Amino acid sequence: MSTLPVVFSAFQTRKMDLLSNKWIINLIFCCFFIGVSCNSVENKIYVHLNYTIPCVRLLNATHQIGCQSSLSGDVGVLHVLESEANLDWVLKTGPNPPYMVILDSTLFTRSIMMKLKTGSSRVAGVVVVAPSSNPSEGFSPHTTCPNENSGVYSESYDPALAHCNVTVWNPLGNGLSYEEYDFPMFSLKDDNDTQAIKQCYYNHNHVVNGSSPQYPLCAMQLYSHMSAVTDTATCMRRNGINFSLNPETVCDPLGDFNVLASTRPLNYTDKGHKTGESVVIAAARLDSRSFFFDIAPGAESAASGFVTLLAAAHALRNATQEAEPNRTILYAFFQGETFDYIGSSRLVYDMENKQFPLDLDNVHSVLEIGQVGLHGESKLWVHTDPVSRRNSSVNEEVEKLIKNLNSSALNLNFSLQEPSFSQPLPPSSLQRFLRARPIPGVVIQNHNSAFTNKYYESMYDNAEYLNMSYPPNLTPEEQLEYITDAAKALTEAATIVARALYTQAGGSDPIQLQNINVDSQMVTQMLYGFLVKSNNSWFQQMVPSDFAIHLRDRPTNFYVGVTQQHSEPTFLVQYLLANLTGTTVNITQDNCQNQREGEDDKESKHIYSYMWVQGAAPPNSTERVAFCVRSTVRLSKALSPAFDLKEYTSKDYSTWTESRWKSIKGRIFLVASHELEMLTLGVGVAVLIASLMLTYIISSKADILFSSGREPTAATY
Amino acid sequence: MNLERLPNEEKLSLCRKYYLGGFAFLPFLWLVNVVWFFREAFLKPAYTEQLQIKAYVKRSALGLLLWVAVLTTWITIYQHFRAEWGEVGDYLSFTIPLGIP
Repeated sequence: MSTLPVVFSAFQTRKMDLLSNKWIINLIFCCFFIGVSCNSVENKIYVHLNYTIPCVRLLNATHQIGCQSSLSGDVGVLHVLESEANLDWVLKTGPNPPYMVILDSTLFTRSIMMKLKTGSSRVAGVVVVAPSSNPSEGFSPHTTCPNENSGVYSESYDPALAHCNVTVWNPLGNGLSYEEYDFPMFSLKDDNDTQAIKQCYYNHNHVVNGSSPQYPLCAMQLYSHMSAVTDTATCMRRNGINFSLNPETVCDPLGDFNVLASTRPLNYTDKGHKTGESVVIAAARLDSRSFFFDIAPGAESAASGFVTLLAAAHALRNATQEAEPNRTILYAFFQGETFDYIGSSRLVYDMENKQFPLDLDNVHSVLEIGQVGLHGESKLWVHTDPVSRRNSSVNEEVEKLIKNLNSSALNLNFSLQEPSFSQPLPPSSLQRFLRARPIPGVVIQNHNSAFTNKYYESMYDNAEYLNMSYPPNLTPEEQLEYITDAAKALTEAATIVARALYTQAGGSDPIQLQNINVDSQMVTQMLYGFLVKSNNSWFQQMVPSDFAIHLRDRPTNFYVGVTQQHSEPTFLVQYLLANLTGTTVNITQDNCQNQREGEDDKESKHIYSYMWVQGAAPPNSTERVAFCVRSTVRLSKALSPAFDLKEYTSKDYSTWTESRWKSIKGRIFLVASHELEMLTLGVGVAVLIASLMLTYIISSKADILFSSGREPTAATY
Repeated sequence: MNLERLPNEEKLSLCRKYYLGGFAFLPFLWLVNVVWFFREAFLKPAYTEQLQIKAYVKRSALGLLLWVAVLTTWITIYQHFRAEWGEVGDYLSFTIPLGIP
């Protein structure tokens, strides 16, 4: 704190005409001290961490998963773990517990984490250093059987197929994301800051030749206190108590919006069964996750699927507008599928309860695109549900769909095969439709039995894994336009899907069929935008101006997030789908933004949606030429029905919620030994007591000590 | 207020007011009664009203002890079992701690 020198009294004896001088000089002093910054003691002690990615707490009907720190942060002496054997130092022999363990990504394994979890009285927290390249042996913190209890395979459907008895879908899964830890866990990038932290460890804490390290030691404090606890029912109940003194929301349900579009417009005010409408649903999933919060690159687990579907939708635009096939195709991009099928369970629920313009009776078949990232091979697998195929009519429809897919793949350099043995469906949105009724459907994946994705739902499932490699020395614009091998492979897949959808929807014109071709330029631009940098010129053209400022210079984050917070991929897919399947209409900005084509148009907003997009700048100017896009793209709420029905212990629907927190931060500092701290406190208390006693003694003997030399003369003459 | 300066009748009426007030679920009035009038009741030389003041102080002390016992028991039970009571525990609470059951 800066203090002003008090100079007023010095001027008081001056004359009044120097008053103005006084004020001028005071003003100069004030300005001088404002320019000087304060030198805080806190900055000399603590170094704050800049880039902190925490692991947060998620809750469902029965469990809580994730990490928790104490309210005032957890302090631990730094220790860089060298190997699994070195864990002994942390858990048993180290003389200064609790320890803050720094793990390299190679040591972030299940066995080490379980040992740290059981010894958590001596563990203050864990910091994982994220590597700059993917580990070659694979890593998946998800469970081995994803969405085990929320799919269709349960004891009542077919006990032999439940709980991944036939095929373990994610064999590399170590289940770390679904464990509960009572210490904070943060992730740091492998950059200069982390090197500084490790240097602090080597300078102060490192043990050489068996001697124990001397104080002061380098320590770290991590704050990630989560407010919710126990399970979703408890935290939703505590959200809603209005009897308490400080009502506070402690958790929020996960959810967002599904993106839907149809080849023929649907009247969204007319909900329930639509007579005569037969719909083919083309589904893909939009979301992913990883161990840490808000990191979800989701390249193969999410992006490969929905980019293929977006490209197929674009390729079908002309074919479905000119010679309309008799069935409508509904493109559905489901959000929240990672967390027990939030999006698809909501759509099925809405269809069953007449909250959607279609009914389950209107659904003819489902074609879902799962993980289709290809790493060199040109083969995709078509998965079906064996139980529903026992019904002969369903089986017939499934066979027709597979035949359509195969005939679409004939002329291309591609093969589509069914798995050789009777196998249940992998985790997919189709399972939620089958839970409602047996619907013919297939799921296209790039694996025969278990996943080939080595990094399922982890932070390594990124552009590097999909083989999106660009030649060096390309500018971002050139990278955007460069067609990678991944893009070429997905183009083939998308062409097959588009042609199969056309045939499945009843289209029979062979010339139209041949003209359905997916543009690989578009696929590579989409892959670049979602997996490398979302702030690129192609995306900038297709979004409205108020969203354009939210585009970032990094890959899209596919974590579904809480309902109140709208996730970026939902909006991006919505705008992309509108531009790729819609048409440009020549109406004013005012009409466009009010969802009408003319001043008196009241009907269009029920069937179409209008978007005023930024557009591109023509070559010789900098002003963007904006225009209006009319499409059938809608957002439908993807919030689990459990929250609308208030059944927070539901076994049928997803009950995932995310805890709220106050502050997430970390800092490092040097910490003194406990004895030194107690000594300092003791000396301070002793000084206090001594000064009190001294004051008491002096005040009681004040008349003796402070007798003035001159006695007041009593005698007056 | 300095009790030294009060006449004895006023001391008695004050003691009685505090004693009677404590029955309105106000055990702190009894505590004040005991602490304040202790010297008057037991340590001063006898005067006419002292017997009644003594009685009031004794009864206040008894009531206070009862309240302390009840409150201590309830607070111990509540703090220990609130987490296990689940819904009932939450509805009984004015402030629920964050992040711990």
